[in-house]
Amino acid sequence: MPLGPSSSAVHLQNLNSGSTLNPVRSLQNVTIHPVALFSILDHYLRRTDAQERVIGTLVGTRTETEIEVHNCVAVLHSETSEQVAVDMDYHRTVFELHHKVRPKEVIVGWYSTGSNLNTYSALIQNFYSQETAPHTAVHVAVNTGAEEGSEPGVKAYIGSPVGVYPKPENCVFVPIPCELRFNDAERSGLDLLTKSFPPNSSSIASPSSDIEVLERSIQTVSDMLDRVLTYVRSVIAGETKGDPEVGRYLLETFATSTEGLDQGSFASSLQDTLVISYLANLVRAQAEVSARLQLVTSS
Amino acid sequence: MATSMAAAIAASMPATQAAPTPAQPTYEAIPPSMSKVIDIEAEIPVMTIQLDALVVSKIVKHSSDVQPSPALGLLIGIDLDGTLEISNSFPLPNTNDDEDKSGKALARYQAAMLRSLKEVQADDAVVGFYQSNSLGAFFKQSLLDMQAVHQEKLRHGGIVIVHDVAQASRGNSSFRAFKLTKSFLHAYKFKKFNTQSLIEHGLTFSSIFEEIPLRIRTNPLLAAFINTLSTPSSSPPSKFPSSPSAALPPSFSPLDLSSASFTHNLTQVLDGLDDYKTEEGNLAYLARQIAREKARADAHVQKRREENALRTSQGLAPLPEDDVSRLFKIPSEPSRLESMLLLGQIDGYSKSLADGASVGLVKMFAANASSGI
Repeated sequence: MPLGPSSSAVHLQNLNSGSTLNPVRSLQNVTIHPVALFSILDHYLRRTDAQERVIGTLVGTRTETEIEVHNCVAVLHSETSEQVAVDMDYHRTVFELHHKVRPKEVIVGWYSTGSNLNTYSALIQNFYSQETAPHTAVHVAVNTGAEEGSEPGVKAYIGSPVGVYPKPENCVFVPIPCELRFNDAERSGLDLLTKSFPPNSSSIASPSSDIEVLERSIQTVSDMLDRVLTYVRSVIAGETKGDPEVGRYLLETFATSTEGLDQGSFASSLQDTLVISYLANLVRAQAEVSARLQLVTSS
Repeated sequence: MATSMAAAIAASMPATQAAPTPAQPTYEAIPPSMSKVIDIEAEIPVMTIQLDALVVSKIVKHSSDVQPSPALGLLIGIDLDGTLEISNSFPLPNTNDDEDKSGKALARYQAAMLRSLKEVQADDAVVGFYQSNSLGAFFKQSLLDMQAVHQEKLRHGGIVIVHDVAQASRGNSSFRAFKLTKSFLHAYKFKKFNTQSLIEHGLTFSSIFEEIPLRIRTNPLLAAFINTLSTPSSSPPSKFPSSPSAALPPSFSPLDLSSASFTHNLTQVLDGLDDYKTEEGNLAYLARQIAREKARADAHVQKRREENALRTSQGLAPLPEDDVSRLFKIPSEPSRLESMLLLGQIDGYSKSLADGASVGLVKMFAANASSGI
């Protein structure tokens, strides 16, 4: 699942520049958890008027070739035309606090909003490289899309020193692929958020029952079937040219076996479910009666 | 400077007003349009709760990270005109060391966290806490204790948000907000949960908590961002979107036909019933013991009376009658809170079982109908 528009940039291998002794295998992928992304956006919303962009520390885990960003913490910083300052004490305190709850996660890099990379970016990158040494620090630039003419998206970079004599303010940001990752249980939480989109109300009531969720899903499937049907009809009628890829895909999908649903097992499964339903309601009724009986006076 | 000025003014004042009035904290003038909705004294009761998308995702992540142990964290926000807006949250570290030390460390952690949140212009008022649970059983002693502590300290008494992990993995993330009812709090204050107190307060497991309606809010920036992520990225329009390339493809997990979760849920219900049976047994045993002691005490009193009657007829001084309480220790009536909570858990488990079963039925018929064509 790539984030943002694909770039035409070649994903350069970060050649070992010889400055680090142990050969670091090149980083190939960065995954970002939605929570980190949401926190960044929230931080961006809470910036002061004077702040052009906000920065913070990315926290997560790393393997040889991949960095997983699980979380992020906001960091105070100030940028003027002359200098950039990052509140180091604050950064340390906040990370320690974070470390208490999730001891496994380490600093993997930093984020900033907006997509312009400048000298200050290089300086901050240099600072974070020291924090994450001997590994490379990753820089995630989140374009919030709030400014005119910019596409919202997320880009990840790793820094690579440039020049004959490496200087902190000189740095090439090498883009690396970056994607969103979350587990299945969290998926439904995201669904809850995507549901809250109807333009006139920016909030939705919760909780919805299981049945409602199911209804929505079935509705979506039904809509999709309709779309497929329209497409197939128009191909048959010769209005559109059929796409062999789509045809094969459809053939595979509709050939999926439904063996488990033959008559015998359906009936027994149905009975099981009915018994469970009956039992559950019986237990509930008993529990309620029992609670009420406790309130009856003995006299 | 200001204090010397105040002193000077006070000195020039008539003697009746000798002490300078304590410096009033200066509030920024509240605009008249807002004067109705801002209540400094927390007089407007909380009617609805508005949960920010950030908090939703934070709770979901924390819960699924620490599964199967429950996730616990604090909620941060502000209330305005009866709506409690929860804008942030942070997890609490899992403490299982000795009580006293971890309690202090927790308090330190909490204070430091709030301070650092304040520095990045985030809200810093704790309004409640969240806890994750499984299969709808959120009645726990720890939750009650924590909420009762908060009730006294926090504005509006604080609220608790429960998130059901098992339901979330079934494809329906649920968040529910609760606060303790007045009658329960009253009983809790006196630590009295015997039969008499329960009857007086009319307490059953369903009247411990009252649910507060909850809404989820996505701020426009986030909404726009998610929308961008969930729309397929610029694929050629002529091509049929057979494989969506969005960062957030639609999910169809609610349509999963497997009924594996029933088994687990059923086990939970049975375990709950077993626990309840044991607890009932304990209560019955204690009740019998109380009855036996009472009978013995009564018999003793009766005997002493007869003896006294005999002694008075013989012209002797009667023996004291009030040493019963010394001789016989009648145990106090056991607390029924535990059994009440167990009942609540059973109810929660069986409710989620019933819901699961009904959804299962619908899915089965849907699948059967479509395979029959």
